[in-house]
Amino acid sequence: MANKRHHKLGAATGGERVGQVLNGVFLGLMVLVTIYPFWHVVMYSLSDSHVSMSGGVFLWPREFSLLSYQQLLSTRQLYICYRNSILKTLLGTGIALLLTALTAYPLSLPRFKGRGFFSLMIFFTMLFNGGMIPTYLLIRDLHLLDTFWVYVLPAAMSAYNMFILRNFFQSIPPSLEESALLDGANPFQVLFHIVLPLSGPALAALAMFYGVALWNGYMDNVLYVNDANLQLLQNYLRQLIAAAGAKSGTVSEMADVSAASRLTEETVKMTVITVSVIPVLIVYPFLQKYYTKGVMVGSVKG
Amino acid sequence: MSNLTNHRASAVPRPSLKSRILSTIHKDWMLYLMFLPGLVYILLFKYAPMYGVTIAFKDFKIGMDIMDAPWVGLKHFADLFGRTAFLRALQNNIIISFAKLAFGFPFPIILSLMINEVRSSKMKKLVQTSVILPNFVSWVVVYGLFYAILSPNAGALKDVLRLFGYEGALPNLLASQSAARTMVVVSHVWKGAGMGTIVYLAAITGIDQGLYEAASIDGAGRLKQMWHITLPCIRTTIIVLLIFRVGEMMYAGFDQIFVFSNDAIISKIDIIDTYVYKLGLQERKYGISTAAGLFQSFTGLVLVLITNWIAKRVDPESGLI
Repeated sequence: MANKRHHKLGAATGGERVGQVLNGVFLGLMVLVTIYPFWHVVMYSLSDSHVSMSGGVFLWPREFSLLSYQQLLSTRQLYICYRNSILKTLLGTGIALLLTALTAYPLSLPRFKGRGFFSLMIFFTMLFNGGMIPTYLLIRDLHLLDTFWVYVLPAAMSAYNMFILRNFFQSIPPSLEESALLDGANPFQVLFHIVLPLSGPALAALAMFYGVALWNGYMDNVLYVNDANLQLLQNYLRQLIAAAGAKSGTVSEMADVSAASRLTEETVKMTVITVSVIPVLIVYPFLQKYYTKGVMVGSVKG
Repeated sequence: MSNLTNHRASAVPRPSLKSRILSTIHKDWMLYLMFLPGLVYILLFKYAPMYGVTIAFKDFKIGMDIMDAPWVGLKHFADLFGRTAFLRALQNNIIISFAKLAFGFPFPIILSLMINEVRSSKMKKLVQTSVILPNFVSWVVVYGLFYAILSPNAGALKDVLRLFGYEGALPNLLASQSAARTMVVVSHVWKGAGMGTIVYLAAITGIDQGLYEAASIDGAGRLKQMWHITLPCIRTTIIVLLIFRVGEMMYAGFDQIFVFSNDAIISKIDIIDTYVYKLGLQERKYGISTAAGLFQSFTGLVLVLITNWIAKRVDPESGLI
């Protein structure tokens, strides 16, 4: 019986075997379509400009050259943008995690009077917002235009992330907190010494959500900051790439070889893209792991 | 503890609302202190701009206080709907949003079903790890990658097309009017596929394996199992995500369109957000651009409520609110 059942589950009919193969081929193509563009950009950036100009598919660098990296890494603005983006991401994530935890913890407690009202109030901000212009005017009135703080304060908490964390806090057995309360601990001590140490995976997931959004976001730079010393990496990259879009009305784009260096515009762009993607690739294993976990926590309806 | 307070409340006359609030705060004042920064944040950065939408009904000029600006009723809205550029942005917005929903919404469902059919766990892991990668890079990088592939001279596409026997000149797809919306939708699907897939795979993992075994014994093939077990079991997840997507329809992707835009194709992909940006922040027409933004977020709110209501009608267990 067991054998027969095993046979039935394991075996595939002819049609199903064809389905399996087609499935595999399609998913293989998906992997290729997803990964190749990244590979292409890196290989292009490592090729000699004169050879890479002709384009096409790059499996490996054509006439390996680091010239574009040498040029780019001697650009001062790149360092400024890198510094700003890293600072924004680290500081922003830290502030966001703290604010989110401080807000989510009281809302997770049944004894916190007004939690229903406050939760509704925060939930409503997910459905309706004041829009771009009133937000801009507020930020102007708060004298945050052209300051670093405009990168971290307006985005200091996401309502969605707050609710994920609140739901996670609610899943922690209340007995642990109650015994601490009986020992005379105040809510801050309970949060920082008992609740947060138990929330490692949830906090890691939220850190990923916030970190990715902060690192990749550039509209705050476009909308609120003109100062070149406060420019973000993504916006720097946008200006370099969009320069092509602006003149790309013509069908043929002549790669203009700049007089100063022997680099084509294309190679420079590929190099900047590579340089700006590297931090994401470095943290990618963590991202994948905790992001996935966080999505699972979040996908549970609460 | 709560028994004690209840007893006292019934023994003495019920204290006034104010004193009850004060006594609650007195008892748990530290919790309220803890909650205060979040409350201030929400009031300042979320609710103050909501008050700011009154600009849409006022004659607001730079240097004025919003309160002092005279009311003008629906003048800005009448003006707005008389502008062809706005109507064009609204039309583009609807077309792009529908296309994104039609292609971008089912794709992760199909992809997760396909990944679920893969037997080899290594292959499964490889596919999952790959398709989520674009989710973690910015729209600027996505545009850069598309440029790297599609650029007529330096891109990779021409070799791929040569493989299929096409030798002619390539159009510049990123500056072509006829391809503009397609590019926006394709890049949206490409970037977002992995995220949705993870959510659905998480839901699929939670399905009771016994259901599949029973179906298999009854002679149901893989496709039938997919249709009769997997899809019904992840229905709630599908509906919740659908409500989110429909609610976002008025927001056709500011970050994305902003970087994909250029003079050649702006007429095809100008959306409400990019229109508000130009009108409000570049031309400084605050009243009318706020009116456009208010129309956008109000319609978005109505869309969420309608979808949620329909979802609950169809399936009482689902729905967001």
